[in-house]
Amino acid sequence: MVEKQMMGHHVDRSICAWFWHQYNHHRNNDQMSVVTSPTHYLFPLIRHGIIFLACTQLELPPLLPIEFLSRFADILSDYLCAGSGAGATLNEDIVKDNFVIVYEVLDEMMDNGFPLTTEPNLLKDIVLPPNLVTKVLHAVTGNSSPSVGPTLPHAAASTVPWRSTHPKTTTNEVYVNLVEQLDASVNWDGNLRRCQVYGEIQVNSSLPGFPDLTLSFTNPSLLNDVRFHPCVRFRPWESSQVLSFVPPDGHFKLMTYRVKELKKIPIYVKPQLTSDSGNCRISALVGVRNDPGKTIDSIIVEFQLPPCITSADLTSNHGTVDILADKTCRWSIGQIPKDKLPSLSGNLVLEPGLDRLHVAPTFQVRFKIMGIAMSGLQIDKLDVKNMPANPYKGFRAQTQAGDYEFRS
Amino acid sequence: MAPPVSTPKSASPSQPSGKSEVTDLKLQLRHLAGSRAPGADDAKRDLFKRVISCMTVGIDVSPAFSEMVMCSATSDVVLKKMCYLYVGNYARCNPDLALLTINFLQKDCHDQDPTIRGLALRSLCSLRVQNLVEYLVAPLAAGLKDHSSYVRTVAAIGVLKLYHISATMCHDSDFPAALKALMLSDPDAQVVANCLYSLLEIWTQDAANSDEAAREIEALYGKSIIYYLLNRIKDFSEWAQCLVLDLVSKYIPSDNNEIFDMMNLLEDRLQHANGAVVLATIKVFLHLTMSMTDVHQQVYERIKAPLLTLVGAGSPEQSYAVLCHLHLLVMRAPMLFSSDYKHFYCQFSDPSYVKKLKLEMLTAIANESNTYEIVTELCEYAGNVDVPIAQESIRAVGKIALQQYDVNAIVDRLLQFLEMEKDYVTAETLVLVKDLLRKYPQWSHDCIAVVGNISSNSIQEPKAKAALIWMLGEYSQDMMDAPYVLESLVENWEEEHSPEVRLHLLTAVMKCFFKRAPETQKALGAALAAGLADNNQDVHDRALFYYRLLQYDVAVAERVVNPPKQAVSVFADTQSSEIKDRIFDEFNSLSVVYQKPSYLFTDKEHRGPFEFSEDLSNLAIGGDSGDDVIHSAQRYEENDKDLLLSTSDKEENGGPTHNGSSTYSAPSDVNSSTSLVSSSTTQPAAFAIDDLLGLGVLDTPVLPPPPALSLNAKPVLDPGTFQKKWGQLTVSSSQESTLSIQGVASLTAPQSLIKHMQNNSIQCIASGGQPPNYKFFFFAQKEGSSSFFLVECIVNTASAKAQIKIKADDASASDAFASLFQSALSNFGSS
Repeated sequence: MVEKQMMGHHVDRSICAWFWHQYNHHRNNDQMSVVTSPTHYLFPLIRHGIIFLACTQLELPPLLPIEFLSRFADILSDYLCAGSGAGATLNEDIVKDNFVIVYEVLDEMMDNGFPLTTEPNLLKDIVLPPNLVTKVLHAVTGNSSPSVGPTLPHAAASTVPWRSTHPKTTTNEVYVNLVEQLDASVNWDGNLRRCQVYGEIQVNSSLPGFPDLTLSFTNPSLLNDVRFHPCVRFRPWESSQVLSFVPPDGHFKLMTYRVKELKKIPIYVKPQLTSDSGNCRISALVGVRNDPGKTIDSIIVEFQLPPCITSADLTSNHGTVDILADKTCRWSIGQIPKDKLPSLSGNLVLEPGLDRLHVAPTFQVRFKIMGIAMSGLQIDKLDVKNMPANPYKGFRAQTQAGDYEFRS
Repeated sequence: MAPPVSTPKSASPSQPSGKSEVTDLKLQLRHLAGSRAPGADDAKRDLFKRVISCMTVGIDVSPAFSEMVMCSATSDVVLKKMCYLYVGNYARCNPDLALLTINFLQKDCHDQDPTIRGLALRSLCSLRVQNLVEYLVAPLAAGLKDHSSYVRTVAAIGVLKLYHISATMCHDSDFPAALKALMLSDPDAQVVANCLYSLLEIWTQDAANSDEAAREIEALYGKSIIYYLLNRIKDFSEWAQCLVLDLVSKYIPSDNNEIFDMMNLLEDRLQHANGAVVLATIKVFLHLTMSMTDVHQQVYERIKAPLLTLVGAGSPEQSYAVLCHLHLLVMRAPMLFSSDYKHFYCQFSDPSYVKKLKLEMLTAIANESNTYEIVTELCEYAGNVDVPIAQESIRAVGKIALQQYDVNAIVDRLLQFLEMEKDYVTAETLVLVKDLLRKYPQWSHDCIAVVGNISSNSIQEPKAKAALIWMLGEYSQDMMDAPYVLESLVENWEEEHSPEVRLHLLTAVMKCFFKRAPETQKALGAALAAGLADNNQDVHDRALFYYRLLQYDVAVAERVVNPPKQAVSVFADTQSSEIKDRIFDEFNSLSVVYQKPSYLFTDKEHRGPFEFSEDLSNLAIGGDSGDDVIHSAQRYEENDKDLLLSTSDKEENGGPTHNGSSTYSAPSDVNSSTSLVSSSTTQPAAFAIDDLLGLGVLDTPVLPPPPALSLNAKPVLDPGTFQKKWGQLTVSSSQESTLSIQGVASLTAPQSLIKHMQNNSIQCIASGGQPPNYKFFFFAQKEGSSSFFLVECIVNTASAKAQIKIKADDASASDAFASLFQSALSNFGSS
């Protein structure tokens, strides 16, 4: 399914067909982030199974279209999924049902190939999202305008472009959520090759008026590199490592950061492979190493069976083992039980002619730990100024595995 | 009138029912057009939605154009928006009908609501219909002065759209000046940004043919405007910041204080959430400090962290683009990144193109302190499931070995690879061990011991087999069974499909023969016999050449085939530093992602192998293979008469042998193969080839009437000598000649004439030019003597005239040559 908007000179639709052909052709291999077609350079971006494609014939900064597309994807899912309940992700049907919204949003976001308004809050002033309220209103009164705001964005005139001057929120609360992603790779001999954390501070603010927030950490020196939302003032950060900002309304990413060279990993996998005359014994143990103090949830261990394996027979003493169609073996553990260590064992039959297994599969682990940030970053306090009443403040933290792998 | 019955389910956009759907929609729209019933707007809205769904899915709903326009007279904003969308899509193919929409769009441009004014103006500008341009000017002018900033932003871009439809109209209405004024005064940052964007595009396009526009562009890069924009940079949206930063990167500050001020101002941009802004800032920093080496280094240090974060934290698409930039920086300053090597470790889930980049970076940053770690990591990848990556990582280990002084550990690792008994690992490693031995001959003992154990049967990859054979030949004195291994390889000559391997086999047997003659004699005989009977031309010629060499004198043969070699100190780099610099200048652009300077992929015309060069010293750059200067004169021969040329031996000891067949005259007892080229047979044969290619149409090979002077068919002269001679000699003959009509017609590119002259034994050394003027430098050699003729020939195809300047070593023969040259030239096109 295709859809698009033409800017400047005419881009023929056949480019999509061309891309689609290429895409299917290379599906099993890897996709490049810039594709050269006979006439254009294409930037594909894949989110939730929907492909966003930008074309250009000119030289340009490559991140510009890529960033724009990912922003567009975010905004689109923000728009279209908010109305259809929490947890919904963007999919083909939702887009199909909302062609008009998609066009309207795209129209506001880009004019003649130059990005225009990309702040979600501002966009929502111009193009109203199809939320439940307007749907109900529409059904009851029959004459509301479901997708166009009656007025212009006020923020266009305000000094902080990300915040409209008249947010309509009635609640008075702010939530801060630390989300960390732990990347680690461990060698076959158990050596930790590298370990680092990418973290995000997500804030959901619904505060009236013009609040001024200050967020401070107990251990900011931990952070290796930080990137901020435009609302963060740089001076206070430079001088005393505190985040001072006037928040946009709603959900936004306040800061992203990186912590490198961590020494501890919460969970380990001990894989062992021994092969002998066409068979390969495989066993793997999973355990907690440096107990983070919170339960580790939804543990999944995955590994790719090498192509030279004809059949596999795997069992585990805890959780379920599935072999998926693409020869990926998925072992869903869930939580680690108190009384025993989960272990996986089994036998792999090699292709005839092969004596022993030459390649070493890599075990990838996924998990989630609620309530703790593995980097050790801690929020000290959040001050809210410029507010008539003290708002409710909520804090959360969560760590999940990113590229978390064990080699065998 | 009641709203129409809700449409049946079959109208869902995913299953378009085609034509009937459109007529159905048309009908319903017509019903509604005049309706003022209370529910009419809702009904219209549903209908419009269906129309737009159809349009999106790809059904042509343009037949409903007039109905849509009729329905558009409404106060409902949603309806308006949908209508604008529809009109924008179809106006171009229905210019006449588009006229209908002008009226209501113009009316909407004066609406109370600024949103509607803006939307209408945008739609109006997006119609892109040539004959409606006149209606655009007034609303645009009003839009630029509108009190709502939203309308002004739209109008600023609208001017650009107008410019693309009709540049003259845009200039006549004086819009660029208005935009400039607006840019310098408007309080709204987005308006400023849009003005800047439009102006940049308008003036850049104009700059080619208007001095005034070029001056304006200059002014944009000037201090006052740059400062004006920089001071407001925080007000701009992230995209506008990218635009401004790009502009700033072209600004040349006057002194160092200015540079530091700018950098201080922009430093916090490095922590922006938008990767595009970060990268644009980095570009500014790098360009600003280009001339200050120490600060430049500091900048690298400063930008390292943001780049590394961008690589890890972004989406996969983003991280690849950033990684390419990082790759560029790493290649420029590997030392600075040497402590960050862990960031370039490959993750299992990385796509293979990312892994490839990372491997290259790991190779580049390896130094004394981290080699051990990096090589250990790379060795892990050799067991990778992904075979190309495993090969690539072995290659990386080899490259590191070639860079480092402490090779000991690495050689051990490489030899361990050989023991892994995986075909592709062994193959890849063998090639590396060969390269390693060429650089560090002192390691031969360790390597040979292991290499000797490898069975040549287990290796299929031609390159690896060739490497193994090379080592067998080179170190035959150390390998006990080398002659016998070679012998068994020779026995299987027929089964060896790759000519490269057979060539190496020949040479290896020769080398082995020089060292261990008694043991190898049998193998050598068999190899030469097999080589002579081989149907590959190169193999055949090399066997023949060796055979004659051996007949001539074994000592000479040894000197030619196996001279004492010097260890290779540096292997040729694949990409010249000039190109790397060029890519660096284009930081933050697609060039970096492609690893090519932009002119290589944006200019379609750039593909010509020859560029005009007045100065002969630039020749090597103009040619496509800079390392092959000596051969440049022969390049065309090699291309065209590949079959006929005797092999120019590309053995490592190349120099003295490379036109072997003329140095050693053919003994008569050798089977006189037809392919053996002597100068007398070349010309007709060359014509025959041309005939096959349909280049020169000719019934019988009519040679130009041979005057007393006959020319060597294959003279060799390198550009350097040519240039020296050209400088030394005086013009012995200067003439003007006329080209035939056919000649002019076929001279669309320099190559055609070069080919023609080559058939007349006159070689071209350099050529170039654009129609109608072409310039050539030719040379020829008198048969049986060393005297050269050098010619400069300037052809003007418009006047069909050629100006010829001839210089000759032997001035007495110059007149004869001149007439020969002229007749050849006048024959051009007619033969």
